[in-house]
Amino acid sequence: MRVTQNITTSNFISYINQHAENLLKTQQQIASQKRINKSSDDPIGMGQVLGYRTNLAVTDQYQENIGQGMTRIEFNELTLDLASDLVDTSRELAAEYSGPTHSAAARQSVALQIKDLYDQVMQMANSKFNGNYIFSGHATNTAPFSHDADFNATYNGDDGKFQIMVSDGVEVNIVADGRKIFQNVANGGVNIFDELKNLIDGLENPDPVAGSAQIEATANVLQAGRDQINSRRSEYAPVLYRLQATDEYLTNLRPKVEEAMATLEQADITKAVVELQNLELAYETTIATAARIIQPSLLDFLR
Amino acid sequence: MMDIFGVLNMGSKALMVQQKGIYVTGNNIANVNTPGYSRQRLNMASDVPINTGIGPVGSGVTANEIERVYQRFLGVQINNETQSLGQWQAHKDSLERVESIFNESGGYGLNQVMSEFWNAWQDLTNNPSGSVERTVLVAKSEMLAATFSQNYEDLQQIQRDIDANIEGAVEEINRLSENMVDLNQKIIQMEAGGHTANDYRDQRDLVLKELSELIDIDSFEDATGGVTVSVGSGQVLVEGTHSYNLSTQANASGLQDVTWLDSSNNPVIITGNISKGKLKGWLDARDVDINNSLNKLDTLAQRLMIEVNTLHASGYGLDGSTGNDFFTVATTAAGFQVNPLIANNTNRIAAAAGFNLVPGDKPGDNGNAIAIASLQQAQTMNGNTATFGTYYDSLVSDAGLAVQQATSYYDHQSQMVLQLENYRESISGVSIDEETVNLIKYQNAYQAAAKLISTADEMMETVLTMI
Repeated sequence: MRVTQNITTSNFISYINQHAENLLKTQQQIASQKRINKSSDDPIGMGQVLGYRTNLAVTDQYQENIGQGMTRIEFNELTLDLASDLVDTSRELAAEYSGPTHSAAARQSVALQIKDLYDQVMQMANSKFNGNYIFSGHATNTAPFSHDADFNATYNGDDGKFQIMVSDGVEVNIVADGRKIFQNVANGGVNIFDELKNLIDGLENPDPVAGSAQIEATANVLQAGRDQINSRRSEYAPVLYRLQATDEYLTNLRPKVEEAMATLEQADITKAVVELQNLELAYETTIATAARIIQPSLLDFLR
Repeated sequence: MMDIFGVLNMGSKALMVQQKGIYVTGNNIANVNTPGYSRQRLNMASDVPINTGIGPVGSGVTANEIERVYQRFLGVQINNETQSLGQWQAHKDSLERVESIFNESGGYGLNQVMSEFWNAWQDLTNNPSGSVERTVLVAKSEMLAATFSQNYEDLQQIQRDIDANIEGAVEEINRLSENMVDLNQKIIQMEAGGHTANDYRDQRDLVLKELSELIDIDSFEDATGGVTVSVGSGQVLVEGTHSYNLSTQANASGLQDVTWLDSSNNPVIITGNISKGKLKGWLDARDVDINNSLNKLDTLAQRLMIEVNTLHASGYGLDGSTGNDFFTVATTAAGFQVNPLIANNTNRIAAAAGFNLVPGDKPGDNGNAIAIASLQQAQTMNGNTATFGTYYDSLVSDAGLAVQQATSYYDHQSQMVLQLENYRESISGVSIDEETVNLIKYQNAYQAAAKLISTADEMMETVLTMI
């Protein structure tokens, strides 16, 4: 083949461009630490990376939901713990003052104490978390319980459950229906407020014998009421456990997804640096040889 | 005549021919870097011999013609491959711009925005009556809508930029056709005298090559030396010394069609008949690739809008409102936006799935918010086989794949053209070394011819002194 200066130079330019482009690409990979800098670098890989990214974002969100759910359960649990203690105190007082031997004044003072306990239990039942009532079902802006002057309590909420999204298409329910906890008459349970009212009525009954019978009757029912609260509390345990297990699963899943994404997306720096060195060598030798080939012509050797 | 005058005559002819050689060599050296130049060669022959008593005797040298060293079919091949090169170059450049719109490698694209949108719905499920959660949701939704319309408009902008490129290319083609007519005229005139118009032919070949880069052409040379060039489905661009113009006109979708103007300036649309060159690359990118991306983006936006709206309308806001669309209905993704009713009053976000006595009395109900947040995982796209996310991810992959494909075609094509150009250069290109050798060769011959003349002169003097 007849070789002219233009062939040499155009080849040289073409190769130098190729080397420079490869150098730039490798340098970009090292600088960004990423193997995929444009989707054309690896279209399929880019699609997968995006899938993983969505996955990570939604995992974070589920963990956030779970965190909030757990706090909510712990708060419910704490509230009901206090409420059950209050009911227990009322039961003890009922048991203590059930005989007809107590003076009217003593019973009157206990009645005041019970009224106070009644208010405290109601206060617990009307607890707010994050500005929302926790035991009024979905009517979170309505105080679940209220009572009239005669201590007749009414439930103002509904039977809604608080739902938490914990993973794709899976929701966990937290009981938020105050009736099931405090007025579970519909399911054959105890109406704690009514029972406390009975206790107050008994203590305030001017007839000590009839009153004593009333008081005595409440003691056992209040015991059942305390158990009712505690059994609701125990229902939170499996939910909490489930949330913790899901959280743990997601926490373990996360590094796996991150690893898979890194394998796909991250540049192998060692490999990239070695490649860079090779490219540098190729680039420099191309320039060096071109410099030697391009310069001389026959004219340099003619006198 | 083998006399002294014969020697003198032979010497002077040789001087002139070698000088021509030096002239041609000089011209080659001067044009070593001229694009499209083919090296020229002086064809010499021994002059007509003279019959003498001892047989025919040579009478020196004569210059026959200046020949262009050229391989015609190589030129045709280069033009054909240049058409493909132009096509892939234009295609690749346009697709790279599309790719940059869907550039998700930094993580600030639609993928991220969609994730944030769904997460905002999930945040709302945690506190369905929370005003912060509601405000954040509206902000994230506006961001989503804005990203959709931004992407859509950016794609349309590329289409408009391509139109500008097409208009520029059409003007360039018209300029080249006029150039070609001019060169045809010069070549026909010059070659009528029997000589080859070497330099004009080189220039015309270059124009043909520049045309090839822009559009696919068919060309042939007629007996007079004029070239006829046609484009599209046989529309004549250049016919000897007459040229026709190309033009553009807006089509139904507001994009430019390429037209050919006949002798009475009536436009004939040839968009569909262009099969190569940059014009084809741009048209493909504009009408196929970008349109596909626009349609997919639109499908995604519309589906998302419909799914969210349907669920949202069935739920209840904190203020008891129901039946509200979450996004306003738009004809394209460019008009995608959050319903102003909701943006202005976040209480209208329908997180609740129902009500007890009056709408809005279940502020703690997150049923509808959960239903909407769950759309993220729902197989809503592609005939219920893909989620919104995976549908979009495949859109990004497709954009990357298209660039990858066009780049590999382009790289292959540019290597091929480089090879062919080198091959052409190896035949027609000027080699400085070769010309230097020729220069010395001609110079030596010139010196020898001069010696011949001075020898004849001395001989003449010798004869004269004899008198």
